[in-house]
Amino acid sequence: MTNKETIIELKDVWKTYKMGAVEVHALRGISLKVKRGEFLAIMGPSGSGKSTAMNMVGCLDVPSKGNIYLLDKDIAKMSESELAKVRGKKIGFIFQTFNLINTLTARENITLPMVFQDYPKEERRKRAEDLLKMVELDNRMGHKPSELSGGQQQRIAIARALANEPEVILADEPTGNLDSSTGERVMDFLTKLHKEKGTTIVMVTHDLKTARHADRIEFLKDGQIVPEKEAFT
Amino acid sequence: MKLDYLKYAINNVTHRKMRSWLTVISILIGIMSIFALISFGQGLSNYVTTIAAETGVDKLIVQTKSAGIPGADESFVITKDEVDFLRKINGIKEVVGMYMKVVEVEHDDELKYVFMISLNTGKERALIEEMLTVELDKGRALKTGDRSKVVLGYNYQLENNLFERPITLRDKILIDGNKVEVIGFYEKIGNPQDDSNIYMTEEGVEYFYPEKMNKYGYVIARTELGSDPAEVAEKAEEKLRKFKDQKKGEEDFYIMTFEQAIEMFGSILSVINGVLVLIALVSLLVAGVNITNTMYTAVLERTKEIGIMKAIGAKNSDIVMIFLFESAVVGLVGGILGVLLGYLIAKGGGIIAANAGYSFLQPAFAPSLIIGCLLFSTLMGIIAGVMPARQASKMNPTDALHYE
Repeated sequence: MTNKETIIELKDVWKTYKMGAVEVHALRGISLKVKRGEFLAIMGPSGSGKSTAMNMVGCLDVPSKGNIYLLDKDIAKMSESELAKVRGKKIGFIFQTFNLINTLTARENITLPMVFQDYPKEERRKRAEDLLKMVELDNRMGHKPSELSGGQQQRIAIARALANEPEVILADEPTGNLDSSTGERVMDFLTKLHKEKGTTIVMVTHDLKTARHADRIEFLKDGQIVPEKEAFT
Repeated sequence: MKLDYLKYAINNVTHRKMRSWLTVISILIGIMSIFALISFGQGLSNYVTTIAAETGVDKLIVQTKSAGIPGADESFVITKDEVDFLRKINGIKEVVGMYMKVVEVEHDDELKYVFMISLNTGKERALIEEMLTVELDKGRALKTGDRSKVVLGYNYQLENNLFERPITLRDKILIDGNKVEVIGFYEKIGNPQDDSNIYMTEEGVEYFYPEKMNKYGYVIARTELGSDPAEVAEKAEEKLRKFKDQKKGEEDFYIMTFEQAIEMFGSILSVINGVLVLIALVSLLVAGVNITNTMYTAVLERTKEIGIMKAIGAKNSDIVMIFLFESAVVGLVGGILGVLLGYLIAKGGGIIAANAGYSFLQPAFAPSLIIGCLLFSTLMGIIAGVMPARQASKMNPTDALHYE
C-alpha cells in the first residue's frame, strides 16, 4: 500500500477554539497520511478531536495552524467557492445522524449533490436510480426520510455521498445511531464499496468493532495521535 | 439548475404552510389595494380622455375663479354685454351664457333642492347640450316661448331616486313655488348631480327670477375651426379683463379650454389616487419587513440543512439563490392572489358605483398593471429576502451542521 498515491495529508495540524478568554486546543499537531484506496478508521473517545480532524479533511473547517493537502492542494489556501467545489466533487460525507433533507424524497436527496455540480437532469436521474439500486432501496425512491428506517436513511446517505463519484468517503460515526445488526449492514455496504470499487474511506468511530472493518486504525486522544495502548487510558 | 432551486423553494414554502400563508396575506393586502386603486385611477383617466374627445377640444369655458361648483357662486356674474363682447373676439365662433341656480322642487309633497340651468333656445343650445353631453331621451326640447316648461335630468324618471314616485311627461311640478310642466327628459349622463339637473329656457328664468336677469353664472364658447383654443382662451381672458376693467391678476374669472378644465379635474383625481396608492405602498413596505422576518426564521430553522447542503457541495451563491427563490415565490404568490382579489374588489366597486349613479367610475384593467403588480411583488420578495439569504450563505458549515 505504501507505493500508492497519497490523497490526504495532514501536516502538524492544530485547531484552537477560543471560549471566552480560554483557548481550547481541539487538535495539537496531528500528522497523518491517507493513501488512495485505503480504508482508515480514526478511533478515540468523545472529545478526542476526531470529529474536528474529520471536518478539516472534509474541507468544512480550516486548521488554525499546519497544512492539509487534498490531492496535493493546500486547502487552507482555497477560497470558499473552491472549498465548496472540493466538498461537492472530491468528498462524500456520511454522518452519524444521516443528515438527509427532510422535505426531499430519497431520490431528491441523492440528486442534490449533482444539482450543485450542474449535472444534466437526465444524467442525474439515471445516476440516482443506479445508486438507489446499489443500496437496494430503489423501491423507496419516492419516500421522505421520515418514512424510512434509520438503516435505510443511512443507506440513502451513502448513496448521496457517492453521487458525484468522490475521491474519498468521510464517515463520521456511521453506525452511531443504529442498532448493531442494522449498523453491521451499513458497514457491509461500506466494506463492499471499499473492496469492490477501491473507494478511499476515512471513518471516525469510538467503537472498536466498527473500526475493525478498516485496513488501518489510528488512535486519537486529547488532540494527538497516540499508540493504541495509550488511547483508552 | 435554477429550476431545481425553484422546485425546492416551492417545496419549502408549502412545507411551512401556516407561516407562508400569513406572509402571503400581508403582501396580498398591499398588492390588492394598489391594484384596485390604480385600476380605478386608470378607469377615471380613460373617462376623462373620452370626455375630452367627445366634447371636443374646440370649447372654452368662462367661470368664476372662486372654488366650488361652477355657477353656484352667486356673486360672480357675466353680463349679456360681456357675452356679446366675447362673441366679437377673433377666433371665437359661438358664445352662450347660462343662468345657474339652486332651486327647490316640489313633487307629491316631497321637497328637493337641485341645480337649474338655463338653456338658450337658439342655435346655440346645441353648444350647451354638447358641453353637458346631454341628449334628449323623451318628450321634446325647450323652444322659444316655453316659459313655464322644463326638461329634466334622467333620474327624475326613476322610482325612489329623487322622488318616491317617478315624474312622467306632462306632470306638473313646483319650482320655488311656481307651477311648471315637464315636457322632456334628458338621457343618462352617468353621475347623480348632472342627472338631477333641471333645464329651463332663458326667458323662463328671467320671468320667474327677475333678479337673475343679465347675470350669467357660466359661459361656454366655441372657437373657430383652425384656431388654437388655448391661444384664443388667453387672448379672450386678456380682452375681457380690460373690458371688465379689472387689474391683471385680480380678475374674478378665468377662461380656459375645456381640455384644460378636464385635465385639471383629472389631475386632482390622480393626486387623490396617488395619495391612496402611497398609503398602500406603505402597507407593502410592512409586508416586505414581514417577509424578511419570516425568512430569518426559516434560515434559523434550517441552519442544519444549510450545513448539510454546504457539506455536499453547495456554494455560498447556491444557498443565496435557494433562499431568494423562496422569498420570491412568497412575493409572487402574494402578487397573484392580490391581483385576483384586487380585480374582484375593483369590479365590485365599479358595480356599486354604477348602481349609485356614478357609472363613469369604472375600473380599467391594463395588462401592464397586472404584469407590473406581479413583477413588483416578486421583486419585493427578492429584496426582502436578500439579508436573510446572505446570512444563510455566510454560515460556517461545521457550526451549521452541529446546530440543534
